[in-house]
Amino acid sequence: MPESVALQRLREAARDPRAYVAGWRAHHPGRRVVGVMPMNFPREIALAAGVLPVYIQDDQRPVAEGRAYLPEFYCGYTRNLADQAATGRLDHFDALLLADHCIQLLGASDVARAVGDRSVFFGMLISSLSDSWAEKKIAEMMGQFRGEFEKLSGAPIGDEALTRAIEAYNADRELLRRVFDERAAGDTTWSPVELQDMVVSAQVMDPIEHRDLLVEALAAAPRGERDDRVRVHLSGHLCHAPRRELLEVIEETGAVVVDDDLWSGRRYVQSLVPFTPGEDPMSAIGRWYAERNVDLPCPTRVQHDVDWDAWLIDATRRSGAEVVVHLMPKFCEPHMLFYPELRKALDAAGIPQLLVETEHEGIPLEALRTRLEALVERALRHRPAYA
Amino acid sequence: MTTTAPTALSAPSTEPRTERLAITREGGRMIADYWEDLFVARESGRKIIWYNGGALNPMFQAAGLAWCHGEAFAARLAAQRLEGPAQLAGAEYGYNAELCSYSRTHLGCAVLTLKGSEEPDSGVVGLHDRADLASKLPAPDLFVNNYAGCSTGQQWDEVSYRVFGKNVPIFNVSHPFLWGNRPDAGYLVGSEWDEASRYVRDQLVELIDFLEVQTGRPFDYDALSESMTYIKRAGELRREGLDLCKATPAPATFWDWISCIAPINFLPGNQALVDYFQNVKDEIQQRIDAGVSGVRGEKYRLYFDGIMNWNKLGFLSRKFAEHGAAVLAGRYIQNAFWQEPHLIDTSDPLLGMAQHYLLCPTNHGSKTLEHLTLRDCESYGIDGIVFHSTRTCRAFTGPQRLLAKSARDNLGIPSIFFEGDVADASFYKEEILDSRLVAMLEAIDVARERGDHRRAGHGAEVAWPT
Repeated sequence: MPESVALQRLREAARDPRAYVAGWRAHHPGRRVVGVMPMNFPREIALAAGVLPVYIQDDQRPVAEGRAYLPEFYCGYTRNLADQAATGRLDHFDALLLADHCIQLLGASDVARAVGDRSVFFGMLISSLSDSWAEKKIAEMMGQFRGEFEKLSGAPIGDEALTRAIEAYNADRELLRRVFDERAAGDTTWSPVELQDMVVSAQVMDPIEHRDLLVEALAAAPRGERDDRVRVHLSGHLCHAPRRELLEVIEETGAVVVDDDLWSGRRYVQSLVPFTPGEDPMSAIGRWYAERNVDLPCPTRVQHDVDWDAWLIDATRRSGAEVVVHLMPKFCEPHMLFYPELRKALDAAGIPQLLVETEHEGIPLEALRTRLEALVERALRHRPAYA
Repeated sequence: MTTTAPTALSAPSTEPRTERLAITREGGRMIADYWEDLFVARESGRKIIWYNGGALNPMFQAAGLAWCHGEAFAARLAAQRLEGPAQLAGAEYGYNAELCSYSRTHLGCAVLTLKGSEEPDSGVVGLHDRADLASKLPAPDLFVNNYAGCSTGQQWDEVSYRVFGKNVPIFNVSHPFLWGNRPDAGYLVGSEWDEASRYVRDQLVELIDFLEVQTGRPFDYDALSESMTYIKRAGELRREGLDLCKATPAPATFWDWISCIAPINFLPGNQALVDYFQNVKDEIQQRIDAGVSGVRGEKYRLYFDGIMNWNKLGFLSRKFAEHGAAVLAGRYIQNAFWQEPHLIDTSDPLLGMAQHYLLCPTNHGSKTLEHLTLRDCESYGIDGIVFHSTRTCRAFTGPQRLLAKSARDNLGIPSIFFEGDVADASFYKEEILDSRLVAMLEAIDVARERGDHRRAGHGAEVAWPT
């Protein structure tokens, strides 16, 4: 069955965000577009100000001029960001903003500030979420973001506009999450690459437009049932999408991806802003940030009673995943630090796993294919023999 | 075409040319005594705290605790070439070799400590491995994280907490990164600085509550004031000594000051600490009076940017000196370790302490770092910058290329990069440093022969060899 036009448009936005932004500007003359860095930026506040906030993607081009600004032992995403900044590939944004304290992301943002003439605003959301003062500090920073967007748009942001923005993003994320939940429950309609396109396009597009297209794309696809391929959970890639060919080769080895915790997957869609009509929308946005780490733990946050390893094991039980493939971007320190905890927990639970270090410049796929095939074999041997 | 061949000015000398400060040997003894005391702290009834980041030791001193600074312990192991067993234990546990080698070494110690705890009640790092490890780090009773700048720092202690099964109480101090969003932002000024200072100060008050609960004793504020009085004085003497090194030729070098980091970073605030830095300053003054320089035949004055390569401290010191290159200043020395003692009000030291934690040299945006680097390059009469591209320290290396460009654009100062690491010798690239250092020194020679001079605020463009 030919794919829908809606799916094609989502894919186009995911793979060419600059073209999407250009089109959006053409339809919204005079409106601002900002680039925001992953992972926790409260885009609702920007949208409420009439500004389109676009999560900046790794555009997968080779790092050229960016090499002059960041060392080769920065992660591929941040080196790519520096390259985008150095070559004018961020010039379609009126400003850049970030909320996450990742030292490599800050390095790339500092390069963008140095080589460009646009504002680069860093509002540091507290990452130590067990602290009794965390809620207050989150609220303060969200207030600063509100002020920044009021300056940018030249008008105050009303609670009504915030409410509408929350509802728009919630509706979009909720629909996406339904797709992920259905996949975990056995629906194999969508390949990991198609799902990645759906999520990445959501990170780029206006949420109402995105949801309308998503509804159309979902309606055009018949449900596919899970077969007996080896069921894989993909874990990692906390702030940017893995290369598509990597996702393809996983399924080519006789496996099916049933769930993930990737930034370009469930990690983005897992949490909705917990807003109920009548309450203060800003405090709901603050709670969204605080609860994201509970809904799907992230090793960049410090929260003593929240465990990514426990979440991962629960997730494999929910989806029936038989193996876990860790996708660790080379030089990602939070992932490197936490990986042994994941490995220990999965070993204790008897779940086979494979660590794949990914690189911006790509990885030797055939060598990876062999390793994946070995993992699939191992999973098949784990299966109970027929009576 | 005629070319002017520079004289072989940068050829290395075969004679030793370093004149290290004699007093640093005394510092070494004080440090050794400190560690020996820590190793027996549990036997003497003291609780032991593991901490990372800014120098919280005066708080722990006032609370009657024994303290272990994780980075310092990793650095000590590396400097003594004893990091291997800890790093091996970390690697076996699953830590990737590209992870911050301070954290990898320290977490390896944690893993060994857990193994050691299988041996009843010792609380000592793997007794069975002790001969190899040559370290006796006691297991922690508490963790405190006080990391500014580098995001890995906070995550590192959280993972330590998990390695110990979440059984050791932990406290986090969060530090806003001094990014410089607002128009009034600058070094030690602006509303961002003021707000961040108050925020961290308030967390120190919370930390005191935590320490009171954990020790079961009221916190001794007088002891904190007393300790900070000594530390402030030591910091002043250190600054005065650093200022003396602006003399030409310089009486002491960056490497001498590297040897003085441990005392200012984590030794107890007491009269011995003040005496030590008084002696450091006195020896430097005596050298000036006697015409003794830190590098015999000083010919080049260099700035070193990057965290220290602890495996190679003596080696690097000699290597630069062989070329007549006096390394005089660096971000890790001039812009760290109680470097602004005037901020400390000894009767109420918490705000000044908080401010120093914020002043970690990795906690600034590149604009402020440019300001500090240019300031120091000018005041020390720097000819060139050596960037230690510290493989596993993304915090220090991130802004280095911007700093190199700024130094060239604003002061006409050339720079080189070499690769190494804080605590993993495998990343050090000897030949790269050799060839690049020689090339830069020759470029400086050529420029001198041509009569070029650094722009140094005079507005004259410099035509450097390309």
